[in-house]
Amino acid sequence: MTDAPLLNVSNYSVGFKTERGLARAVDGVSFTIGAGETLGIVGESGSGKSVLNRSIMGLIASSRQIETGSVLFDGSEMVNQDRQNFWGNRIGMIFQDPMTSLNPVMKVGKQVAEPLRQHLGMSKRQAIERTIELFTNVGIPSPAQRTKQYPHELSGGMRQRVMIAIALAAEPEFLIADEPTTALDVTVQKYILDLLNRLQAEHGMAMTLITHDLGIARGRTDQVLVMYGGRVMEHAPTEELFTHTRHPYTEALLASIPRLDHKKHARLTPIPGAPPNIVEPPPGCRFSPRCKYAQARCVQSSPTVDGAEHRYACFFPVGTDAGAEALASNRAAGETATGLKMSHFEVDA
Amino acid sequence: MKYWTQRLTMVLALMLAVSMLTFASMNVLGDPLFNILGPISGDRKTPENLVKIEAAEKQYYLDKPLPERYVRWLGDFVTGDMGVRFAATGQPPVTELVKERLPRSLWLVFMAQVLALAIAVPWGVWSASRSNSLANKASTVAAFGFVSVPNFALAVILYYIFALKLGLFPLRYDASASFLTRKTQLLLPALTLALPGAAVYQRLLRTDLITTLQEDFILTARAKGVPRRQILFRHALRPSLFSVVTIFGVNAGGMIGGALVVETFFGIPGAGTAIVEAILREDFPVVLALVMIIATGFVVLNFVVDILYSILDPRVRS
Repeated sequence: MTDAPLLNVSNYSVGFKTERGLARAVDGVSFTIGAGETLGIVGESGSGKSVLNRSIMGLIASSRQIETGSVLFDGSEMVNQDRQNFWGNRIGMIFQDPMTSLNPVMKVGKQVAEPLRQHLGMSKRQAIERTIELFTNVGIPSPAQRTKQYPHELSGGMRQRVMIAIALAAEPEFLIADEPTTALDVTVQKYILDLLNRLQAEHGMAMTLITHDLGIARGRTDQVLVMYGGRVMEHAPTEELFTHTRHPYTEALLASIPRLDHKKHARLTPIPGAPPNIVEPPPGCRFSPRCKYAQARCVQSSPTVDGAEHRYACFFPVGTDAGAEALASNRAAGETATGLKMSHFEVDA
Repeated sequence: MKYWTQRLTMVLALMLAVSMLTFASMNVLGDPLFNILGPISGDRKTPENLVKIEAAEKQYYLDKPLPERYVRWLGDFVTGDMGVRFAATGQPPVTELVKERLPRSLWLVFMAQVLALAIAVPWGVWSASRSNSLANKASTVAAFGFVSVPNFALAVILYYIFALKLGLFPLRYDASASFLTRKTQLLLPALTLALPGAAVYQRLLRTDLITTLQEDFILTARAKGVPRRQILFRHALRPSLFSVVTIFGVNAGGMIGGALVVETFFGIPGAGTAIVEAILREDFPVVLALVMIIATGFVVLNFVVDILYSILDPRVRS
């Protein structure tokens, strides 16, 4: 890894002015990504993971958006700057739904050729030749014929390959993959993720992989950022995060997905409640209303993200004495400090 | 291909139905004999009148049953003979009259539609891309103004400003002028017809564009670095044209109606004025011929609109 990271995000916040007040979609997020590294960003819907990435890229064209903090990309400050020169050229982006993310009335070849002509100044013919190369590289069979087809003539997996070809056309240094496989079926998912990993290695590209699937994050990232209600809950190197989970939210997420080593017919533990209100949120930890470790302290004040390699924002972390005591006292009381019945969590115990 | 054959058959069936209805209503509701001969048509007792009546009945096939007359008329019509006028002299024949009058109206409506699109597309794209500015609110007011002001009032206003005050356009239409001069003479009348159309197209295009600009693929285009202008014209415009194209076809009919007022005001001897004169004189062959031609034009144009859909959106093709 080089000395200065490619992307250095520090204390970055994004708010939206609404009629009810400022919605803090992203609140004081910090992380760095070096060249060739992959950061997984995990969280449920509404956790701010997509807004974070679109805001970093400057794609949100809203006069109601307010950005604070710092985002250094290759040394240059991006916050509140016009980032158009980076789009496609130095930062590529892949979106969730390949069904709606391609222009339905334009041949796919032309859609790939556009950034080639725009950023690399290629002629029409060079762009077509390069498009065919790109199609071959992302595993699209009979690429020359495919370039002349419209998106509706391709399957979902093929379309996502086209999206990847578009994002990588101008060979960006940094790729943002926003839930690239959520809309695809499982067999295609693996192919697309393998493809992304291979291309990333080939180009030495940095990447953020946004997902709500912890399994995907585990196998394919170097570090993982767990977000909840716009804030970072836990951030650690991937193996460390999964082997020494500290944050109750991460633990809850892990408990809510099925695993192969679960015993047969074991019930999954859902996370009770809904994502928090991000407009004028109450003081205290954002996750406390849904957390089985919650104590009086969690409601009164909000923990900061602390730690060096392994950072987390929790007063009573999982796997520590404080956490064990908190859990024991909640079990004894039958409910948490936020009034959540412990029976919610003891489904299978 | 099968689809288009079906569509074409439907168009032809529709044309036949229109022609039957028009033909029948003209002959049943009116009294052709009276229109040809005047008051003497009811007087079969006077021998000399009876001779005239029988001669007229023979000439116009009025002694034959209606279906036969229809078939005769249709046969003549499709071979380009639109029959004889009911006017006292029967001159000039309907075909000649149509040939003289119709092209002016067609040019007028054609120019109006081209002008309307030329105004509406840049206007709509501009107002969709800056949907909240003050200038945009003014443009909305202007659009509603153009739609709500009646044709004749708009004609007066434009005539006053551009012809009388600024002197940019001639005061009267001169049918004997050269081809190009006649077209410039049509510009102001065409603009009168075009402005309300442009306003409607602009509103539709604006609304559809604003919706299209929210689509995911626009975000993709931005993320890959396509400049704003290209996003508007290359990515967003084409999928946003459906409403405009639909109303474009329908509006063509409305413009023919509007042409009548505009032709009268600007003194253009076109098909609109011809049809009014013919209705007032109950000169049915003229009305019939013009109605048929206008209906054909309308149906064909809307057939073209159908084809346009499939050009605009490849998904319609399959």
